[in-house]
Amino acid sequence: MAKIENITFMAALAAYLVSAALYFVYIAVKNGKVSKAAYTVMFAGFVSHSVCIAVRGILAHRLPLTNQYEFATAFAWGITLCFLIFVKKFKFDALGAFVAPVIFLVIGYASMQSKEIHNLMPALQSNWLGFHVSMAIIGYGAFGVAFGVAMAFLLKDKVHGKIAETIPDEKTLDLIIYRSVALGFLFLTLCMVTGAIWANNAWGSYWSWDPKETWSLITWIIYAVFLHLRVRKGMTGKKAALFAALGFVCVIFTYIGVNTLLSGLHSYK
Amino acid sequence: MTDDGIKKEKSTSDKNGMFKKIFRFLKGMPFSFILLAVIAAACVLGSVIPQGQTLSYYMETYGARKGNLIAAFSLDRVFSCWWFIALAALLCFNLILCSISRIKGVINAWKRTKSFGIWGSWVTHLGLLLLIVSFALSQYTSKEEELYGIPGSKQALGRTGLQVEIDSFDVLLRDDFTVEQYVAGLTVHNGSASLSGEASVNHPFKAFGYRFYQNSMGWANYVDIYKGGELVKTDLICAGEYTFPDDFPSLVIMFNKFYPDFREAEDGSFYTETPLLKDPRSLYGIFYNGGLMSIDIVKPGELITVHDYTFVLRDPVQYTLIVGKTDPYAWTVGLAAAVLLAGLVLSFYVRPYEERKRKENGKD
Repeated sequence: MAKIENITFMAALAAYLVSAALYFVYIAVKNGKVSKAAYTVMFAGFVSHSVCIAVRGILAHRLPLTNQYEFATAFAWGITLCFLIFVKKFKFDALGAFVAPVIFLVIGYASMQSKEIHNLMPALQSNWLGFHVSMAIIGYGAFGVAFGVAMAFLLKDKVHGKIAETIPDEKTLDLIIYRSVALGFLFLTLCMVTGAIWANNAWGSYWSWDPKETWSLITWIIYAVFLHLRVRKGMTGKKAALFAALGFVCVIFTYIGVNTLLSGLHSYK
Repeated sequence: MTDDGIKKEKSTSDKNGMFKKIFRFLKGMPFSFILLAVIAAACVLGSVIPQGQTLSYYMETYGARKGNLIAAFSLDRVFSCWWFIALAALLCFNLILCSISRIKGVINAWKRTKSFGIWGSWVTHLGLLLLIVSFALSQYTSKEEELYGIPGSKQALGRTGLQVEIDSFDVLLRDDFTVEQYVAGLTVHNGSASLSGEASVNHPFKAFGYRFYQNSMGWANYVDIYKGGELVKTDLICAGEYTFPDDFPSLVIMFNKFYPDFREAEDGSFYTETPLLKDPRSLYGIFYNGGLMSIDIVKPGELITVHDYTFVLRDPVQYTLIVGKTDPYAWTVGLAAAVLLAGLVLSFYVRPYEERKRKENGKD
């Protein structure tokens, strides 16, 4: 079984890399067949990735969402899921050129972590773990897509020819950023609420200002300000794209920085 | 109208204008953004600077100048200091003013469109306001007490009027000696009735309006103190605690650390091979007038003789730390969170912003 996990993980990693490469080719040549192939490879990677996560769950006899490796791989899975949905919904094939590298980097980070399966400490043995982390995966995934689209937006002015033609107009990009941030924001809120309920069951306190909680709140504030500016003040264009990118930097710090640099209840140190 | 009258009216209208400006600022989005930015910055500081340490810790870690700044701005307890609470209160004030000023427009828009999505943003703001208020209410009204003891002991839970008896305490281990669960059997007495049950991690025991959490555990030792061969005192102390002969309090024995399955590494450090009570040792220190006289490691029952006194650490036993908490308004936090989430769903998915805009512009 461990072999299946390894094979499917490596297959997913390779598929994401190949897909990213194909998406780069697509934006250079603007050939629909290439983008179709890139999407197919990405989808195949997603299936393999899903099998990998399921196999790990069977091996560990629990939801595989509890350590740095497991969350990183689930994080990449979440971005891929959101990407596959958004790319179809908005018919924005070139999105892969901006999101696939992010997916590859996150799963690449996962590949550098220890894959050893550890038993869960008592505090993590809760049904709320699944709800809490699943919400984080979808929320972070949506923010990852927003980041990719923001990058496309920021690069749009700097590229010409076929590359520029593959990127949708600014209005569409702006709409995708807004939609993905809105989705991410809803799920981030759900993640924080389910985490609070769980913490109350485990420790008798739903909010302890643990660094992870605090940075989730900071991330929440950044995206809340983004949504306010977007909806109420009509913030669009580069400013919105930069804001979405800043939010994702904060997401990455909440996920990796807090776990490795700051100590607290979520620390893996 | 006289010149004075005109001046008076102008001054009143200036004042009204100024108040209007202030009111507009306080209910406006720029003020919300300023508050959120300062709160976010405070959160960054609160997560980077270790909280709740002593002043000497900050002086040693950050130097005198930064240490003094940390103390002066209460950065050692950011999330409970007055200015952070004031920021939260101002945010509430801003949310209240904003909600009041927008309600009329929302109702009119709803009458016009009959779309629940119109309420999204307003309900989201209400949810956030309720969340901050209910969190504060819960923090203010909740009571928390803790006690620790070994199986068979009975203690009062602070000033709650409840007595807690620890019937049993088990650490359930897996084959690889990792902990599967900590389980404390408890009986809680309120004077007229008793309730028994188990508290384990993630599964608090509920009795008489309190939730009892299995919070922590450790090892304790019985300490016998002999003077001239005669037993003068027996005490039970947990790791990190100390005791002394009642007639000679300047002589203190401190129980530092416990090793249930003792091993000594090549570099001379101590560790425990397994959590099982196989070959126990206790690390202790002897203090006289506050100064350390000696530090050593002993087996249970081994004699430690200092002057006329002999100390014996024996019968190591695991203790459990139980936290009893009552939070009568915790449900309000849950309700507020539900309102907030409902507001977000209404905002983004019942009638999304773009559609609303399109309809408002008459493009549909």
